[in-house]
This record gives sequence, structure tokens and C-alpha cells, in this order.
Amino acid sequence: MVIEPRGTLYPRVKVKDVEKIIESSIVNDEPEKTLLYSPNGNSSSVEKYKNIPFYAKQQRIALRNLGMIDQYRIEDYIATGGYQGLAKALTDMTPETIVDEVKQSGLRGRGGAGFSAGRKWATCASAEETPHYVICNGDEGDPGAFMDRSIMEGDPHSVLEGMIICARAVNSHEGYIYVREEYPLAIMNLQLAIEQATSYGLLGDNILGTGFSFTLKVSKGGGAFVCGESSALMRSVGGDVGEPRAKYVRSVLKGLHDKPTVLNNVESFANIPPIIVNGGKWFASIGTEKSTGTKAFSLVGKVRNTGLIEVPMGTTLREIIYDIGGGIQDDRPFKAVQTGGPSGGCLPKEKLDLPVDFDSLTEADSMMGSGGMIVMDDQTCVVDLAKYFLKFLVEESCGKCTPCREGLYQLHSLVDKMSDGRAVESDLVLAENLSKSIMIGSLCGLGKSGPNPFISTLKYFREEYIAHIRDKKCPAKVCPSLISYEIIEGPCDGCMACAPACAVKAITGEKGKLHVIDQNICDRCGACKAICTRQAIEIH
Amino acid sequence: MKKQFSVDPNLCTGCRTCELACSFTHTVDGKAGRPRIYATPGGFEDLWVPVTCLQCDDAACVKSCLVDALKRNPETGAIELNEAVCVKCMACVAACPFGCALVDPEQDKVIKCDLCGGDPACARFCPTKALTYKPSELKASKIKVLG
Amino acid sequence: MVRLTINGRVVQAEKGEMLLVVMNREKISVPAICNHGAVEAFGACRLCTVEITKNDWNGWKNYVTSCLYPVEDGLIVSTHSETVINLRKTLLDLHLARHPHSEHVRQWAMEYGITQTSFEEIPDGDDCILCALCTRICDRMGFAAISTVGRGHGKEVAPPLNEPPPDCTGCLACAQCCPTEFITFSDSGTSREIWGKQFEMITCKECSKPILTKDFAETLSKTRNIPADYFEVCDECHRKATALTMGKISQWQREDTAS
Repeated sequence: MVIEPRGTLYPRVKVKDVEKIIESSIVNDEPEKTLLYSPNGNSSSVEKYKNIPFYAKQQRIALRNLGMIDQYRIEDYIATGGYQGLAKALTDMTPETIVDEVKQSGLRGRGGAGFSAGRKWATCASAEETPHYVICNGDEGDPGAFMDRSIMEGDPHSVLEGMIICARAVNSHEGYIYVREEYPLAIMNLQLAIEQATSYGLLGDNILGTGFSFTLKVSKGGGAFVCGESSALMRSVGGDVGEPRAKYVRSVLKGLHDKPTVLNNVESFANIPPIIVNGGKWFASIGTEKSTGTKAFSLVGKVRNTGLIEVPMGTTLREIIYDIGGGIQDDRPFKAVQTGGPSGGCLPKEKLDLPVDFDSLTEADSMMGSGGMIVMDDQTCVVDLAKYFLKFLVEESCGKCTPCREGLYQLHSLVDKMSDGRAVESDLVLAENLSKSIMIGSLCGLGKSGPNPFISTLKYFREEYIAHIRDKKCPAKVCPSLISYEIIEGPCDGCMACAPACAVKAITGEKGKLHVIDQNICDRCGACKAICTRQAIEIH
Repeated sequence: MKKQFSVDPNLCTGCRTCELACSFTHTVDGKAGRPRIYATPGGFEDLWVPVTCLQCDDAACVKSCLVDALKRNPETGAIELNEAVCVKCMACVAACPFGCALVDPEQDKVIKCDLCGGDPACARFCPTKALTYKPSELKASKIKVLG
Repeated sequence: MVRLTINGRVVQAEKGEMLLVVMNREKISVPAICNHGAVEAFGACRLCTVEITKNDWNGWKNYVTSCLYPVEDGLIVSTHSETVINLRKTLLDLHLARHPHSEHVRQWAMEYGITQTSFEEIPDGDDCILCALCTRICDRMGFAAISTVGRGHGKEVAPPLNEPPPDCTGCLACAQCCPTEFITFSDSGTSREIWGKQFEMITCKECSKPILTKDFAETLSKTRNIPADYFEVCDECHRKATALTMGKISQWQREDTAS
């Protein structure tokens, strides 16, 4: 809980604390010292949230209103400066100057590819064919990513405002927000926001009395990962099966119903109102030269502080993981960070000082993607990880083109073989060649980047693959076929806790005596190790 | 000048040279094609009729084709079947009331007369001139209104 | 008109034409098994992928499916570069793993020197290569009786709910165009079965030869305005009848000249 205007933060507030907080913070305007945040159980406490490293290194533009306003009330949004950008765009600016402002801001699409939003808008605005459409991609499908969801749920008006400004800039009168059905709250909040904005004259006919009209509809998707791909998304919005279309004509010229269409994602649109209000120059002054502004990430995995963060572009991975994330849980060694979602890449500790921006990540064979960031410690096996993400992609492939459908399937089974100890060294060569073909041969981005989980882990952790293949060992002790659980003499005092926990009854032993795991029965589920309080069970 | 394909059964001897000429003209990969023209008994003694496509104006074959594989060649006037487009549904074979769209089982495709692209082999080889392909004799200026 | 170079040869093409169309015209052959003239290019099999570059691309190359790539002035196309050949080999290798029993797949793979797959054979792999020609042609014919179902590796072609498709007329275009002859049907002379649906055949009223299904004939009569009686006689009997009609006319002429 944050008490403004002091910015006093109380973590994990319980009902019994409320009285004290009201007494000190609100009545006396003094912080209640006993309830303040203290990092790592340290005695020195920090009062203001802005002084806590988790917040200090963040700068929130797209996420500016999250947690600050009541998302159900348009009045709250307006009270914090909402729809000011729209008013300015509609009254003080022309479509050309709006596009110029966005161009000047240097905003690049936050959906993953990082294409210049201003250039996209300019192309659409000057397209002769009509009508023009504006679509917001809210089909966030990466496992562990929830940036767009949070914005749609917690600040839906910022998306609406961005879209209306865009519509004005590209002269569009019809727009869609494509949201997966798995985000029911986002859909509900967006629909409510659309109703409110319409009743306030901010959407619909004759917006703010300027004569400009724009209607918005929420289009619900079935939750297919591939529908985040632009051509598949537009087919889905148009009512067809969400399969990508091979296109050598850009969707900005031939998009929805083959008409000029601007497609940006939720975060991109949420950045637009502040850009219009504060100017493109202001936005361009944040971040790096070629990647301006901030970027939201969902920081998850083995870090102490997980959650949604927003940092200026160019912030290093180390700052994100160690300062904001508070370092690795249990002070274990950092192993890698996975960025860019399932088809992104893994970066090892040598890359910790890499500035996070579109080009640096791409150069390091990973990618920005939509902003998932999964941190891994030494207990994560990269082969297992690659297998997991490949499995995800195999299941999410639409199955239209051969390299993605058959290729990813075979790549997954090759990596599965490696993790299972059944692979030979030539399998690694085969998998590498197959990956190359999938990358150049696939129809859409899903396939083209599909082998990334394998390629990027292989690039930085080849020796770990070799260990699986040649030595039949899993160095991280994860891959079930390559490890064994053993009870060690000494610590084991025969407490008999492990034997009943074993689902396959592989553990025998009498009370007070050393227990033994029958390796032929053990299915390496790890339940015994989890329950043992004597640290008597080791993985070999 | 537009040319016209004409058939005069009274000159036909049933020698079937036309069938041979057609077949060889439509050879693909060493496989002779099935003829698009058939010297067929006309029901009277010594009367043979070479039956082939009449390139109808309002052709049933063209109307029946759901994928627009049959189109008239404006140069020759022949209705040509685009093999790359044909889906072998047999609609035209069934629809032609003269039986002149047919199947070539050897080459595994639907066929019809294409006037050999403007120089029909049957006419060229017909020894009795029962089949001819020459400039149209019907000229507007020559038609006189009688009476 | 645009000028481009394919395999070192300068070629002219109309603006907007697809590369594959130009290559076919120039007799430059690449495999393209999901391509068919009756339907729009689809880009699923990826076998027609070629390498493209331009003089001002600073050595950068791109790989595109020629069936969907519109020709451009100054394009330099290579249809058999090492990378492209490797891609085709991998694709055929993958097909061989998925469709181990298909003679057609074997044949295509053989042409690129692959006789044995490098991957794990799919034990229950059928012969459907998911080129979707059948479904796309069915759509083009206006029936849309079958479609692809599911996604990814489990995708398949099927009628709705796996029941006999109500919109199928038994025209057999799907089976005729299936590049691996996976779609099967049976004809008994008076009846036909495809996709689990039974059809009554119209047989020639002269010689009893089966002509086409009643459903298909009715559709053609209705939508294409073709008299129903056209479908009552087979092509051969139609030719015989035509000869007799023309014979009669000729006989009149003969008799006319004689008298």
C-alpha cells in the first residue's frame, strides 16, 4: 500500500495493521516505522517507495496509471491528465503533425518486431485505398508475459486514447482491439471503457465536437498463439481461420479486408497519449538513440522480486535482475535470462551488462519480443528449457506450412532425445541444420523464430548439450533420465518421511535405519527430496 | 481475317486420318494423345461424320466449369482448356451435348479441341477436304437481301 | 514490363506477375506441390522457395516462396543455390518422415537424392501432406464441403464434425487434385462414395455408363443453367447422336443434289 503524497510504502498490509497506518500516516502524517519495507530482512527500513531499488530504477510511461487510478472510472483517468492528448491532437494538431510527433518520438512497436510506429502511421495515412483501419493487438500469448493484460485491465482508457489519436492521424473511422478470450477481465474493462468514452463524446460520432468520428470494437480471439502474428490476427478479426498469410505486401497497405491497416500492440498505443502531451522530443530523450522511451517487462523466474516493471531502454540486464529484481532467489548463481517469449533467446551471465534495447538483444541472438523476461539460476537445465519452449511452439504452430509443422515437431523430438540421453552427436548437427531450414523456410514469424530456444541455448551452453549427449549427464540435475536420487548415510536418520511420499514405492527402510531408493523403480519425481528435512537426499 | 473450321460429311470417307493427326499433334512426353475428333458413322451407307467441337457461342462446357478453366481464345475462336486450372471434376465432359469434351485416360486429363492453336492438323491432313480451316466465306457485303 | 535475372538469364515479365508463373513460362522448374492454377497461391509447401537479391542490397539475400513473390525490376533470382537446395532437401526429408508410405513423397524425395529420412519416422503417418489443395479447390468450386481441422502437427483435412459432408456433391475434384492420392473414393457404376457420403450416379440412358453424381448434375443445372437432359447421355453416345443428326442433314443434301 502506498500513501500519497508522501509516497510511504507498506508492504504486505494485514487487517490488523490498518488502524496503526491510519493513526500515523494519515492522522499524524508520520510513517509507521514498524510496518515499513526493509530489504532482505535488513534492520534499516525504507519509507518511500521511490527509494526502493525495485521502483527507483523504473520509469513508468505505459504503466503510468496502473494501481494509481480506479480503472472502472473514466473520471479517474481524466483527472490524471487522461484524454488531454486526444484533445490536443484533435484541436491543435493536424493528422500530419500527429504523425510527425510520433515519428520524432522514435517510438518503435512494442509487439516485438520494433518497427517504427511513426513510419507505419505515415504509410497508412498516405495510402490511397480506403477505408483505413486501426487495430490494437492485445493477443499477448507468451507464457509468463502479462504487460498488455495489465494495461488493458488496469488502464484501458490509455489504449483507447492512443488508438483514437492514431485513427485521427491515419484518417480511420473503424478500429478493433483484438483480445484473447482468456483475458475476460481485460475484455470487460475495455468494453466498459468504450461505453464510457462513447457516452463522454470521446468515441463515436463527432468526437469532442470536432466532426471526427471513430468507432471501436473489441474482437475476441480464441487464444491461438499464432493469432498474435499480424496477418493471422487480421484474418481472425475479419472472421476467417487465424492462419498467417504469406505476404510480401505489408499489412499496413493490405491488412484487414485487404485495406490499409495500422496494427500496434497495447503497450505501443498506451505510450501515445504522453507522447502527444509532452512531445516527441521528450520521449526521444528517454532511452537510447535507436530505442527510445521505456519498455515494460514481466520479470519472472528465479528473482526475488517478480512482477511488472518498466525501465528506460538501455537499462542493463544486470540492473533489471539485481537492482530491480533484487538478485537471484536464495543467492544462487545466475545462469541465464530468457527474453522475448518462447521464440526469444537465452542470454548467459557474460551478457549481463548488455543494454536492453531492440538492436542489442537482436545482436546477441535473442530478441525484445513483447517483453517477457524469465530469469534462471543454476538449477535450470537449458536442454530442458529448450524442450519446454519447443513443445509450446509445436503445439501452437498453426500447421499451415511444412517447416514449422513438421520441422519444429522433429526439432522438439531431437531435443527430447538429448534430454533423455538417447541422442548421439550427429543428432546435434542434424538439429542445427534443421533449425536453419526452419528459419529460412517458414511462412510466418512463429516458424522463422521457432528454433530460437534451441539455437540460442546451444550458442551459449553448447557444453551442456554435449554433456547430455556424450556423457549422458545433466549438469543442472534436471533431466529425469540422466539423474538419480540417492539417500546418503549420515544425514539420514530413518525418520521414514520419504518412503510414504514416494508414489512408486521405490524407497525401503526401517525406522531409525538408512533408507534406500531402488533405482529401477524410482521415476525421479523429486518428492522424496522435497519432503526430507535432513538434507539426506542428493541428486547424482 | 477470321478463319472458320468447317466439316462436310459428304466428302468424308471415314479414313480416320484426322484422328491420327489429332492424336499425334497432342503427343506429350512421347505419349500420343487421345483424338479430339472422331469419324463416326452417320447412319447411312458410306456416310461418315467427323465429330468434333463446334466451339459453340454459348457453350455448355464453359458454363459448367466452376473454376473457369475453359476460355475462348480470341485469336482462333477456339474454347481452350487450361490444364493447369482444370480440377478434373468432369462437369464439362458431362455437359457438352455433342460429347466433344472428353477424358484422355493415358495422359490423365480432360481434353477438347483447341484448333491446334490456329492450324488444325485434322484439316491440314484431311485427304478429301472434308475438313477445312479457311477464311470465313460469310461476309456481310456478300449477303444480298432477296425480293 | 519488368526485367529480372533468373539463374543468370535475363527474363521479361509483366508487373505484378508472381515469380513462379514467370519461371514456369521460362521452363525453369522448381517443385511446388501446394500450387494449382485453379486456386490462389498458398505458400504452404515452401518447396518453391528461391534465393533473391538485388545489386543494391549489398550482398544481402532473402528467401521467398516464388509462388507468392511478385516480380520486381532488377531482381536476381537463384532457384538452385546451395541454401535453397538444402532447404528443399530438409523439407522432403521431413515429408518422408511424416509420410513414409507415400510413393509420391518417395518419388519427390528421390529427385533430390533422399531415399531415407534422417528424422524419426511417424509410425502412423498417413499420406496427407496438408497442402490444403482439396479444401481450397472445394471452396473455389463453391461447395466448401471440407476444411482443415485442428492445428500444428495434429492438423487434418476433414468434413465438418467428421460426418458425411452435407455440402459435398461428389464431384471428386478434391481426390483428382490430391498430389499424393490420399483422398479415396469408390465408384460402383451406379453409386459413388467419398468422405463417407453416398451418391447416386446418373448413368447414360443409351449405354448405362456412369456420368456424374445426381447431386453434382443438379447443382450445375441450377447454378449454371445447363439443361438437365444434357447430363442424361455420356460423351460417346452424345458423339454418336451428333453424327446421326449431321448424317441426316448430309443425306438430305445428297438426295437434294441427286434429284
